[in-house]
Amino acid sequence: MRKNVTCIVCPLGCRIRIVHSKDAIQRIEDYQCEKGKDYAVQEIFNPVRTLTTTMMVRNGQLPLVSVKTSKPVPKDRIFDIMDTIAGLELEAPLAIGEILVEDILGLNANIVATKHVKRI
Amino acid sequence: MDKRTVDVAVIGGGPAGLAAAAAAKREGAGEVLIIERDERLGGILNQCIHEGFGLEIFKEALTGPEYAQRYINEVRSLGISIMLNSMVIELNSDRELIVSNEDGIHKILTKAVVLAMGCRERTRGAIGIPGSRPAGIFKAGEAQHFINIMDRMVGRKVVILGSGDIGLIMARRLVLEGAEVPAVVEIMPYCGGLLRNRVQCLEDFDIPLLLNHTVVDIKGGERVESVTVARVDENQNPIKRTKKTIECDTLLLSVGLIPENELSRMAGIALDEKTGGAVVDEHLMTSCDGIFACGNVLVVHDIVDFVTKDAEKAGKNAAMYSKKKLIDEPDIPVIPGLGIRFVVPQFISTEEVEIYMRVMEPGSYKKIVFRDGKRIVKTKKLKYVSPPEMIRLRLRKQEIGNAKKLSVAVE
Amino acid sequence: MKYRYDVAVIGAGVIGCAIARDLSRYELSVALFEKESDVCGGASKANSGVVHSGIYSAPGSMKAELCVKGNEMFPSWARELGVEFRRIGKHVVARNKGELKELENLKKVGEDNGVPGLRMVDKKELKILEPNIYGEASLSVPTAGIVSPYHIVIALAENAYANGVNIFLKAAVSDIKQRKTGFKITTPKVSFSAKYIVNCAGLFCGDIARMVGIEKFKVYFSKGEYLILDKAYGHLLNHLVYPVPKIVSGGLGIHLTPTLEGNILLGPSARYMNDREDTSTTQEKWDELLSDARIFLPDLKEEWVIHSYAGVRCKLVSSRAKKPGDFVIEEDKGVPGFINLMGIESPGLSASPAITEKVVGIIKESQALKLKKNFTNVASNQRFSRIDTKGKDRLISEKSKHGHLICRCEHVTEQEIMDILDNPLNVRTLSGIKYRSRAMMGRCQGGFCKARIVRIMEDSFGIDLDDITQRGEKLPLFAGRTKDLRKHG
Repeated sequence: MRKNVTCIVCPLGCRIRIVHSKDAIQRIEDYQCEKGKDYAVQEIFNPVRTLTTTMMVRNGQLPLVSVKTSKPVPKDRIFDIMDTIAGLELEAPLAIGEILVEDILGLNANIVATKHVKRI
Repeated sequence: MDKRTVDVAVIGGGPAGLAAAAAAKREGAGEVLIIERDERLGGILNQCIHEGFGLEIFKEALTGPEYAQRYINEVRSLGISIMLNSMVIELNSDRELIVSNEDGIHKILTKAVVLAMGCRERTRGAIGIPGSRPAGIFKAGEAQHFINIMDRMVGRKVVILGSGDIGLIMARRLVLEGAEVPAVVEIMPYCGGLLRNRVQCLEDFDIPLLLNHTVVDIKGGERVESVTVARVDENQNPIKRTKKTIECDTLLLSVGLIPENELSRMAGIALDEKTGGAVVDEHLMTSCDGIFACGNVLVVHDIVDFVTKDAEKAGKNAAMYSKKKLIDEPDIPVIPGLGIRFVVPQFISTEEVEIYMRVMEPGSYKKIVFRDGKRIVKTKKLKYVSPPEMIRLRLRKQEIGNAKKLSVAVE
Repeated sequence: MKYRYDVAVIGAGVIGCAIARDLSRYELSVALFEKESDVCGGASKANSGVVHSGIYSAPGSMKAELCVKGNEMFPSWARELGVEFRRIGKHVVARNKGELKELENLKKVGEDNGVPGLRMVDKKELKILEPNIYGEASLSVPTAGIVSPYHIVIALAENAYANGVNIFLKAAVSDIKQRKTGFKITTPKVSFSAKYIVNCAGLFCGDIARMVGIEKFKVYFSKGEYLILDKAYGHLLNHLVYPVPKIVSGGLGIHLTPTLEGNILLGPSARYMNDREDTSTTQEKWDELLSDARIFLPDLKEEWVIHSYAGVRCKLVSSRAKKPGDFVIEEDKGVPGFINLMGIESPGLSASPAITEKVVGIIKESQALKLKKNFTNVASNQRFSRIDTKGKDRLISEKSKHGHLICRCEHVTEQEIMDILDNPLNVRTLSGIKYRSRAMMGRCQGGFCKARIVRIMEDSFGIDLDDITQRGEKLPLFAGRTKDLRKHG
């Protein structure tokens, strides 16, 4: 399979070209440094992203708390996570860093608050 | 009417104001006061819930609120005075402020002032997109506030004009919350935001980026029904036969930020029309003695870490000025030359200084060259330059020498 | 609810509201019908806000007579209403020597119309009076002035309401039948009856007239676009600056109009069109307005523009007409009791006090009118931003929410927003708040204040999220709460 990955490690933004099978890289070209090469390989086999979003809060000074995943999660599970937390409501007060959902969807990452929300 | 005196007043409690206040206090200023119009500190960072802040300073990828909280904690632990829900309605060249809040009008006399008011977004009216004026047109930051702070969704099918960082971030935000983004439209031949954002906000979600395009019409009676986009020529004029209609119910505008210098104008501070902010010297002091500027009100930044560094410099110098310890140096103008949009600070002295600038066009393997007349003062080779990425360079004392005037250009 | 009225006024623009208010001085039952969700929806909202002197109207026309009279009546009228009228005067500027003769002609027409104080000004003096304007000579028109048109209409409407006029918004008149006892007026939910009808429907004056069988008028539409310049440049002008009009029946040319708020308006343009509800702005006019304005202000930059808008006026003559049309203000001979106002375009606003007097006079011819003892003038509140610092402090100590500024650009307070949401007409749209407060009209165009105003509407007035609209549309401004799309798809 062929794939082009735009490297984001530095502003040069090399368009790295990769030919790969399900488990192995066959050819990788157009990268300018090792960091870029490593990034491109990760993007092929296990692209991950940190998800940042909001969650609803009850009885808080704000109706929403901003949250993030405690570590990057598989890119293809992002919408599943969004669907899962859409219906959840948290009770204020909430502290920055507090774990709001543990081990979301068994992905070994927590959903963590990124701001304080005081109780009204 | 309440009257009080403080040593350093900081107008704005966002990232710039927080860092400036903390630095002023650490430098030994007497009473440091932050005046913030919102109900909490943090400024725009409160709504920037995405990560990427603090890579330089903390070596971590923090979200906006997390970055802000670090400085809010510091400000509180330093015993800095804070006025929330308070708006500075007047500022004069004697550094006197008139502030309005629910306790009344306050007259505040100061020894030094730091301007940290940030910026506002350019509007549809200012860029003159023709068409009707239906509901459903928002500026990107405005929409971000509604979505992330007020829990209000702005639309279901959203076209975004402008591929600056705010537009890109909002494209992702909207899709994550279930809206559709048919396109991000960009008038320039290149993306306006950081590469990282282009990949993680557009490519990740297969959102089309229409470069060399602009919105030429908005249709809709009560609510936006569609926008018409067209390709533009090399003079940014729309090419009529390339017009294409995109159905949508919302248009988000990410078409530029304008430093909010209403108070600066009121105080008679000289502004640089290229940056939209004050003309400053190497202390980040404006043309008005004892009034300093930092952050987005001075020049629109792209990375908050550098806003913090600026602000710390301004705060420190404001504190020194308030103690009459700031040494006035002769001013050497630094003029932006070929290929350079602006330079800050606009005046330097013979001391080492960090200068930042933006180029007018992207390019690879370029040289930034400082000259004193014909004599080359400094050359910096860069692999890659682009307008969205601000360039910061250090000029050393030896390099400045006894230059009377400097110019900087891309070669 | 009351269904029978002495007078039904159709159309709540400046004319309709002025007439309704004046009629409320008398022992009469008056109803005012408006199809939009707020008063001042049509041409009354989207004009220059100029009170003309009368120099442009054809001598002997009703336009000339009523404009000069209206201009004269304006200062006391505005005072009664508690709105500002500033007689800043106008200079009609000749760009070159070739226009001097036209200027002299214009002076003569003005004098024939009875316009006082007209004076030719030479290049040297013009430079002193208007240092930033480039011109060869000018005609000084001291009686011309500026107002805030929407403030006037809102003040008129609220005054009318305070004195017993029933105002029906979202009440489009769809049918009128003539009965022995008077007129039967059909609106979406309810029918009313009235002895007199005053047709002030502006763009829809022809439609209303046709409902009672008056077919003899053809109504045309002409769109005018405007650009608004940032207040930071308001100081460039001291007076209204107009070019010498080229064509008599067309428009007046591109004006430079200072506003009470300190902005400068460029425009209007004038273009005939078929769709009277098309208030879209165009690239063509944006460019044209800027280049025309640069004839007088050569340094004008595009970045000075903060907003553009357009309005449509009704006209009684086509684009090919050699002479401009005149006002029609008459009790139709074929339909007694139906007072027909057609073609009230410029100088309609200027003439409004005089038009009002004329219409009330027409009613007096067939109906004895007795003055009420308890008619009161209700002055609108002074804007917080206009009060001096000590006064502000005092106001805040009385009502602390005056200390919380919601609109940074125009300095509107939370208390002002709350008072406005309590308006007698119960208008609770963002647009209604905008025109009553000035919030969202500054250089940031709502960037800071809109969110805070929405919060006040929801938290302090319990307005549901789905009922928040820009102008009373059926569709809400927001697509629900953030998670709604994910939850319900």
